[in-house]
Amino acid sequence: MTTTASRPVAVRWVKKNLFSTPLNVFLTVVLGAAIVYLAYLVIRFLVTSNFEILRVNLALFMVGSFPRAQLWRVVVALLLLAIMAGLAGGMLKAAARERSKDAGIRLAEVRGSRAVGSWLRRFWPLGLLVIAALALTRTLTPTLVAIAVVGLLVASRWLGAHLGPIPRRVGWIVVVLLPLAAYWILSASGLGWDDWGGFMLNIFLTIAGILFAFPIGVALALGRRSTLPVVRAFSIGYIELIRGVPLITLLLMAVFALGFFLPRDLRPGSVTRVLIVITAFEAAYIAEVVRGGLQSVPRGQSEAAQSLGLPALKITRLIVLPQALRATIPAMVGQFISLFKDTTLVAIVGLGDILAASSFANAQPAFNAQGLARITLPFVALAFWAGSFAMSREAGRLERRLGIGER
Amino acid sequence: MTDPQTANGGKPMIVLENVDKFFGTFQALDDISLTVAKKEVVVVIGPSGSGKSTLIRCINRLEKHDAGRVVVDGVELTDDIRNIHEVRMETGMVFQQFNLFPHLSVLDNVTLAPREVRHMAKAEAEELGMKMLARVRIPEQARKFPGQLSGGQQQRVAIARSLAMQPKMMLFDEPTSALDPEMIKEVLEVMEELAASGMTMIVISHEMGFARAVADRIIFMADGQIVEVGPPEHFFTNPTEERTKTFLSQIL
Repeated sequence: MTTTASRPVAVRWVKKNLFSTPLNVFLTVVLGAAIVYLAYLVIRFLVTSNFEILRVNLALFMVGSFPRAQLWRVVVALLLLAIMAGLAGGMLKAAARERSKDAGIRLAEVRGSRAVGSWLRRFWPLGLLVIAALALTRTLTPTLVAIAVVGLLVASRWLGAHLGPIPRRVGWIVVVLLPLAAYWILSASGLGWDDWGGFMLNIFLTIAGILFAFPIGVALALGRRSTLPVVRAFSIGYIELIRGVPLITLLLMAVFALGFFLPRDLRPGSVTRVLIVITAFEAAYIAEVVRGGLQSVPRGQSEAAQSLGLPALKITRLIVLPQALRATIPAMVGQFISLFKDTTLVAIVGLGDILAASSFANAQPAFNAQGLARITLPFVALAFWAGSFAMSREAGRLERRLGIGER
Repeated sequence: MTDPQTANGGKPMIVLENVDKFFGTFQALDDISLTVAKKEVVVVIGPSGSGKSTLIRCINRLEKHDAGRVVVDGVELTDDIRNIHEVRMETGMVFQQFNLFPHLSVLDNVTLAPREVRHMAKAEAEELGMKMLARVRIPEQARKFPGQLSGGQQQRVAIARSLAMQPKMMLFDEPTSALDPEMIKEVLEVMEELAASGMTMIVISHEMGFARAVADRIIFMADGQIVEVGPPEHFFTNPTEERTKTFLSQIL
């Protein structure tokens, strides 16, 4: 009765995968012990640590010195962005569904509890961050806000997925207008982005940096392949100059050295300067990523387009770039993730981002000189890990989705 | 303009006069003169590296010739971009590797040029596109992507894509060389119908059955030169040049 077949599946799996050879037994025991010890350390850290420093300073970590009386503006902006994300996601899904139906491919529809499961698998890093942050709050309001955000996400996604082709056009206009509205609400208090801080600043610099640097980077990549010598020389010169200098050096120059060269009235605020530097820096790297993508498009593609009589600009826009950009998704997302983490460098030039918040908190009289960075830095790390990992997973999904019908 | 080489006595569609083409120091075309009449079908054969592809790529300016004249339907190809554009709109080209646009659906592949070059409305372009896909006998694949089709189907889509521009002539650069044997026939059938409809065609192909059936003339090229020209029966019965005989014995 103890034949292999009658044993439970789990037992067989363990035997086959963990204890099949002496070497495997050894590795399983050693690594297993290491994992158990690590888990013990983490649990001990969570149970015995006093997270008071995070509880008191949570707003500082999240929004820096944004006036506490104006925090409702952040909440409204978050809700608007949740609608935008949900709507865009839903509409993309609807469009993809129609395209694949046309092409005769059936997409697996996931519903009910399995849908919830797939959402959890997709967003658990972000969920972990939100739960960790909510566990540190002292009132019920943030939790209600989080529930509202998730509710709006789900509702607007459903709405987006059920819009017909023509309402969808309106939907995309709304998707573009919502972030502008969010920005307007945040800045209507008289607080432009130069007054922002905390994790909000890191996220803002990442998104704005990507949005501004991407078109410039594409233009530089195309410029580098241009037949016009001046355009090519400028593109190559710019890319190689920027790539030869560390970002932190450029940031320091922008914040501390630029003042000498500009008249007092024309000196932009620190966040603006930093954003300009990040944009200029990222554009050079994105240009190189895009160049790789451009080289991956076979010559025959533009020859076929030429033979059809398409002019050069349309060949680039309609044939070469769409294929090139698809090919660059993995490298591009890697670039965006490293930009996200590089935004912490602004702490060094005196901006109050989430890393600076960690230092500020540790300098407060109540928490001074107690080595509490061991509490605050892991929290900062969790925030970046959740964001980076989420980006990486979404990129993987995007790659698979764009793979539909490809060669 | 009259020309002794115009086999069926029609007006010339393509005229090449003393055309040279160099890649670095390598001479790909050496003093090529050729006149192709309207509705004529010319099949070009010859060993690889003989300049066949370069020859037809000079006709729609995918390659720039270094000496001589190329005149297509009365338009001389010069550095003038408008002339190049005009010739390309009237000249369809089919490639060995199909070169379909993999990110566009089959129908979008076919309608792209009518919409973007001829500025046709979407509905009109799609009607035209479906007509062209019906002509190459794959209207049911319109919404699929090129990657989902077989090689033969892809090449037929490529033909439909060229035909959608309603060209006056078609250039085929080894259209069946990249195909599995069982798919060659379906592509050749489409090309035979096209020839029967009166399309002016230059076809690089070693499908001698096809050449015998539809070619008005066969051109044998070697080392960048036209070695021998004649109707198919001439090539199958008594080719004069030694190089032609050797080559034919290798492919037949």
